[in-house]
Formats: sequence, C-alpha cells, structure tokens
Amino acid sequence: MNILTFLTNLLYSGLGNLASYLAAHVLLCLLPAFYIAGAMTALIPKETVTRFLGRNTPKLISYPAAALAGSLLAVCSCTIVPLFAGIYKKGAGIGPAITFLFFAPAANILALIYTGGVIGVDLAIARLVLSLAFGIGIGIIMALIFRSGDVEHDKATDAMFAAQGKMRHVALIFLLVLVSLLLSGTLKVGLLTNTYAAFTVPISGMDKFQDFLYNLIPYDSAKGEEGVTAQGSILIALLVLIGVTSWKGMESIFDGFNVWTWTSLSIVGLTLLVAAVGMSPHSGGLDILINGKFFGVLIALAILGWILKTKLTEDETRDFLWESWKFIKQIFPLLIGGVFIVGMLRALIQPEWIETLAGQNTLLGNLAGVVFGVFMYFPTLVEVPIAQMFLSLGMHRGPLLAYLMADPELSLQSILIISTIIGRLKSWTYVAWVALFSTLAGLIYGAWVDGASVGLVSLYLSTFLALLSGMLWFVNRRNVQKMATAR
Amino acid sequence: MLTIKVLGSGCANCKKLEAVARQVTEQMGVQAEIIKVTEYPDIMAYNIMSTPGLVINEKVVSFGRIPSPAEITTWLANALEKT
Repeated sequence: MNILTFLTNLLYSGLGNLASYLAAHVLLCLLPAFYIAGAMTALIPKETVTRFLGRNTPKLISYPAAALAGSLLAVCSCTIVPLFAGIYKKGAGIGPAITFLFFAPAANILALIYTGGVIGVDLAIARLVLSLAFGIGIGIIMALIFRSGDVEHDKATDAMFAAQGKMRHVALIFLLVLVSLLLSGTLKVGLLTNTYAAFTVPISGMDKFQDFLYNLIPYDSAKGEEGVTAQGSILIALLVLIGVTSWKGMESIFDGFNVWTWTSLSIVGLTLLVAAVGMSPHSGGLDILINGKFFGVLIALAILGWILKTKLTEDETRDFLWESWKFIKQIFPLLIGGVFIVGMLRALIQPEWIETLAGQNTLLGNLAGVVFGVFMYFPTLVEVPIAQMFLSLGMHRGPLLAYLMADPELSLQSILIISTIIGRLKSWTYVAWVALFSTLAGLIYGAWVDGASVGLVSLYLSTFLALLSGMLWFVNRRNVQKMATAR
Repeated sequence: MLTIKVLGSGCANCKKLEAVARQVTEQMGVQAEIIKVTEYPDIMAYNIMSTPGLVINEKVVSFGRIPSPAEITTWLANALEKT
C-alpha cells in the first residue's frame, strides 16, 4: 500500500466515524443533554445542596449530599474546583470533598447520558452505581487516613454553607420536562417507536442521494459502524444551522435577546422533531413515518416553550440559554475533533492487540484499562467514543468499565490542580485509591457480565469490603495511638 | 476609583464576566481597575463556592453566575456613593 492511499483511508475512516456519530447518536441524546445541563447549572440554586455540606451535618447525610452535588451542580469545572476547596477547607472536610471530586466527572448528567446513548444503558448504570459506592468509600478512607488535618480546619467558620436555598417549582417542572424530552427521544419502548401515521413527500432522488452517501462514506456493519442516511445528512445540516444561529443569538445574549436567539431555539426544536420521525427514501419519494417519539418530543417542546415564554423570568431564561450554549460551545468542538481522531485510530489499531491485552476479564486487562485511563488525557466526554472504539475492537466490558472509571477521574492536569489545594501526599494517595478501586470495579463488573452468579459477585465484593474495613480499622487504631502518645 | 476583581481560573464564564464588567464600566464612564484573580488559594479567600465571582471594592457581590449588566450597574453605583 502506498502512503497516499494509506492516508486517504485514514482520513475516510475518521470522517466516516464523525459523520455516523453526528447523524445517529449525538442528536437525540446529546442535544437535550446540553440543555438539561444548562438548566441545572442556571436554575438549581447551589444552596439547596450545599447546606448539607457544612461541618455540623452528620456524616450519613454529608456523604450522599456530596455525591448529589457532584451529579447536579458540577457539570462544569467552574464549580468543581471551588466547591471542592470550599468543602475541604470550610465545610464537611476531606471525606465528602473527595466523594464530590470523584463523583462529579464520572456521574454528571452529560457523562451518564452520553455513555448510555453510545455504549449502552447497562454500562451507564454500572458507572453510576459503582461511582457512588466507590466515591463514598474512597472519601471515608481519605477522611480516616488524614483525620488529623481535618481537626485543624475545624477552627474555620462554617458560615459559607449556612445559606438556605429553594428551587422554584416552575424551574423544577421545566427541568423534568427537559428530561422527559430526552427520554421520549431515546427510550426504545413500543409506545414510542410504533408508527401511527405515514405520508410521502414527493421528492425524487432521495434514494439516489442516500446511495451516494453510502458510497461516499463507506461503512462496515460487521465492525459496528453505521452509514450516513439521507435523514442523517439533513440532521447534520440542521446542526450546522444551530451552530451558526446560536453564535449570532447566544454569544451576545447579555446585551439582550435578539431574533437569532429565537431562531436558533426554533431550529433546535425542529432538529429534534426531524430526528424523531422515521424516514425511508425510495424511488417514488420520501416516506415520513410519524411515530410515538415524534408526539412525545412535540408535546415536550410545546410545554418547554410555554414555560420559557411565560413562566421563567428574563434572568432565568438568559442564564439557562447562556449556560446551555456555553456547554455546547465548550464541549462540542472537542467532541467532534475527538470522534474524528478516534475514527482514524480505529483504522490503525489491530483488534488482536486489544484482544490479547484486555479481551478477557483478567487482572492484567483491568490494570491496562486503568493505566491507559490515567496516562491519557482526553477532554470531557471524549472518553466515551474512545471506549466505544475499544469495545468494537474486542475489549471486554470489565476492563472497559475500569477504563471509563479511571479516565475522567484522573489526569495529570486534575491531579496538579487538586494538589495545590490538598497537598501532594493527599493527592497521590487519592490517585492510588482510585486506581485500585477502578481495577476492582472492572473485575467485579466483568465477572458479572461473564455470567458469574450474583452470589459469587457479592462474595467478591464482601471479601474486598472486609479486607478494606480491616485495614481501615488498623489505620484508625494507629492514628488513635499516635494521638495518645503525642499527648 | 473603584477596584473590581473577577475571580475565576479562566473558564468561559469568567472571561464573559470580565467582558461584561468592562463594558459596563465603559458605559458608565467610571474609573475602575479590573483585576483578574486566577489562583485558587486567592479565590478561596473570598469564601465563594463557584466561579466566576465578582468583587467590588473587596466586597463579593455575586458568584456562580454572570450577573446582568443592569445588576452590575446598580452595584457600581452603590459602591460609588459610598466612596
């Protein structure tokens, strides 16, 4: 193979991956997800959760509250680091702070929705449940190891976490309707996927267009790739339109709403509707299949529009739109670049490599997943297409989960930022624990996927927990002794 | 002369807030020095839980969101009265 064909193949592989992502996965799940994240940032007052993170809150409440804060408030790094530092220095201490730090990148709303949409709901749920258990576990361990440091902080005041906050009912309803918009577009239940009406648009040539697209961007369904359909190409065009109109309407939103703001919102709605219907081109024209999804999306959009226009204050609307746009602007370009590069890499990596290294649910395979996660730094959410690439190359779901747990938690960049706040020793201890826990998470989940009985899996889990609590007891006793001798 | 501090490590919202603040001061025609505070220990000293934060004459007026130009105008006017 000469170098030119090689490069062209590489380019095609990247483009094909990008196009099929844009057309198939991203729209119905990611577009509403960005708006949900925006609504959460703008409409949930932080005080509703942070008041449970003060120093005097019982541990039984502060740990779950820290996880909740990670999931609800911390989609953006603007909140993660300051809130982490606040909880650590002025609030509930290092334990809940670590829980928060662990939970935020792994189980925030964008990451979960995207994992569920691209790789599978089972992995998204595993990511959520294991992150919750391990986040709290690592938090408690860190609190026990470094308890002496926390005593010093006790002298600081707690006033920062005393503020009360209440979410407006209408804001809560708005958020719930956004979630139902997402669900009605993505859930695969009969009520939503059944076709209730169909009509034909007499445009000729759509079938030729689709064949042309299949030829232009070849795909291999055996590898799990998807081709770009005529519908997909319409969606890509609409996405570009959203980008352009949002740029005009959202960038200057602090100077007031303008025509572009509403245009871009209308196009977002239109895009979701187009994505919901079924389209099948044939020689006579284009069949449009009106399914349950379409009605679900339509109703949700109507309610959202009504609340947005009449119930939310201007400040709320502006904050909501700005935060959503900010997420789109920040994450989408990175995601597009990431998906493109992943597509090129796919053409280079031999499936045999992955299969030998992590094709089975072994300790080595899981460790490999974790090590790769720690040393590679990918922007937010890009870990998901990368994980999907590994999956299609034959990686076992166990090591895959280990990778998915370790990658967003640990990167050199985040370790450096945390260590300016809690110091190097504590940061590296945290890193070691996350690596250990991620490996175990992969092993346990992998065993479950391989069909190990529930009894065996819970035996593994309880043995591990017994070992852990034994060790904690030991560390704790030594600390107490040390304090006693110091006195 | 007012001192306006924008607290934030450089995320998108922090830059936006700085731009909005600058725009408001220019519109009002007030003399103000706008300082960006980017180091976390310095930001934490102001007891805020999320960035961006806006500080006028060492008093935190808002954090965790971008206030509207109207709000900033009011705060600046209040601060001017006190000085």
